[in-house]
Amino acid sequence: MPPTHFDSILKKRSVFTMIILILSAAVVCSVILAVSIGQVSIPFMESYRILVYQLTGIPIGDIGELASGSQVDIIWHIRLPRVLLAMIAGSGLALCGTVMQASVQNPLADPYILGISSGASLGATFSIMIGFGAAGIIGGMGIAFWAFIGALGAAALVLVLASIGGKTSSVKLVLAGTVINALCSAFSNFIVYFAKDAEGIRSVTFWTMGSLASAKWDKLPLIAIVMLIAVLFLLFQSRIMNTMLMGDETAVTLGVNLHFYRRLYMIISSMITGVIVATCGIIGFVGLIVPHLVRSVVGSDHKRLLPVAVLASAIFLIWTDVLARTVIPNGELPIGIVTALFGAPMFMYMLMKKSYGFGGK
Amino acid sequence: MRLEVEHLYVTLAGTDIVKDISLQVDNGQFVGIIGPNGCGKSTLLKSIYKVIKPKQGSVFLEERDVLKSNPKSISKKMGVVGQFNDLSFDFTVHEMVMMGRTPHKHAMESDNKEDYEIVHTALEKVDLLSYADRSYLTLSGGEKQRVILARAIAQQPKFLILDEPTNHLDIKYQLQILSIVKALKVGTLAALHDLSLAATYCDILYVVKDGKVVASGIPNEVLTKELIKRVYEIDCEIYANPVTGGMAIAYIPTDTAVRQSNERSKRSTFQHREGCKNSKKEERSVGETT
Repeated sequence: MPPTHFDSILKKRSVFTMIILILSAAVVCSVILAVSIGQVSIPFMESYRILVYQLTGIPIGDIGELASGSQVDIIWHIRLPRVLLAMIAGSGLALCGTVMQASVQNPLADPYILGISSGASLGATFSIMIGFGAAGIIGGMGIAFWAFIGALGAAALVLVLASIGGKTSSVKLVLAGTVINALCSAFSNFIVYFAKDAEGIRSVTFWTMGSLASAKWDKLPLIAIVMLIAVLFLLFQSRIMNTMLMGDETAVTLGVNLHFYRRLYMIISSMITGVIVATCGIIGFVGLIVPHLVRSVVGSDHKRLLPVAVLASAIFLIWTDVLARTVIPNGELPIGIVTALFGAPMFMYMLMKKSYGFGGK
Repeated sequence: MRLEVEHLYVTLAGTDIVKDISLQVDNGQFVGIIGPNGCGKSTLLKSIYKVIKPKQGSVFLEERDVLKSNPKSISKKMGVVGQFNDLSFDFTVHEMVMMGRTPHKHAMESDNKEDYEIVHTALEKVDLLSYADRSYLTLSGGEKQRVILARAIAQQPKFLILDEPTNHLDIKYQLQILSIVKALKVGTLAALHDLSLAATYCDILYVVKDGKVVASGIPNEVLTKELIKRVYEIDCEIYANPVTGGMAIAYIPTDTAVRQSNERSKRSTFQHREGCKNSKKEERSVGETT
């Protein structure tokens, strides 16, 4: 056997492991830091003490302030669930974006652009305004369920629309996504326009712009479990996603039936998007920009791309949310606005950059 | 491995493209398919490597029924080098070649030392070892094609299918690619458009026109003036190349005025080429709409 570069490959692998460890540490640090930042200024040491006490029961300093009080409420019941939701939603959006970009072989794909977010939003709007969403936890699940149905319906429509008149091409998929996006938004607006329920209108408006303000402990388990399962499953799919990027024909010659996997991945992405939209509304562009930024650093190999994108996006959304809730005194911006402010210029840059094309070919 | 195609019919968008083609490739044989643009060469190959579903007929790789097997089991035995290999996403050369290991891997299995050695050998065979860390999209056409060939080699195929692998390549790379393939000594079925190259490298030639095999056999016997006139509608003269001793073909333009004027002859070849390109595009769009 000829001498191989196996040693240098092993070295590369250990560098990659280091990146993962550093990013994981950065996620934890971001959570702790983000919890101590907000409209009400609470010293970092104070919030750190509250966190440690609530998590482990070890009191640092005076125990009286740690168990109850307004600071505890803010840190433990408002900020921490919100920061954790940002972390989970962020990683979910990047995961969806990466998987969708592979599934449709187009660098411009993400849940928002392919109309799946709008589909989910339509489902949620429908359930709120027509009244399928009952109160309490079951109500929350109900909205998530309808959001999932909306997301899945939109994904199915996009796939069907793009396959009319012969072979599905990535350009057709993006165009179909744009159409479905417009259609679902129009229907949502229609429902809202004719609704007389002021409370309902407010919560629908919230859906279309995205916000993490509704984060509560009882909402976290569902989204966390869905995300955990999806991440664990998809991390092991990197080999298939790599062959997906080679195009349909090559994938077949490498033994992968893209037809099946494309559908499977769209269903999983719809599920994640549905759950995220049901809890935080539409947060655009995260699924688009983060995979691209990460790809420019670690390359297109999904074995490295997926975990790094998931971690980086968690960090990204935690800090975008910090910005959203602190940039205006005594108020907050919908997070969708902040991510769009970052995302739109990035999108423009990609369109202008020659090497991306519109799905190659 | 031996490939046996019997009575294959392929219909695309209501049009019969391949009409009753049968062919055999024996173990270690290099078999070429030639024919004018749009004659059904690519469609035939695509239905053999399972991208297009044929209407009728059978394809056997040794004892294995290719059309009824799943893609994974076929891809362990059969490697394919296609025509167009543009990507929307960039990979390094090493990553591209490593994808050739996909058929041999479970979803959860990571690349082991053996895989790296196979990739290393494959890169060595196409002389791209020093390119391992280069990005695929920055390579030239010839280099890209060699990467794709290396990926097929990394599949460790017992059979190779090449669909006009030398299209758009400089003559140096055309020879290089075919020589590498020939040196692999596995059964090979290749669609080629250059008749002299086909005559040089192929053991057996099948000539296809309008979806049918019109002639087959060893290149020296198949490629005659009359056949080329019949299939390609062009006059030519065939002679023994004084340098290599191999077969050489001189094409004679149909327009007599062209022969008289060098200047106009150039223009005519150019236009002829343009014509080829256009019909090539049509052939592609037919393939893509199904």
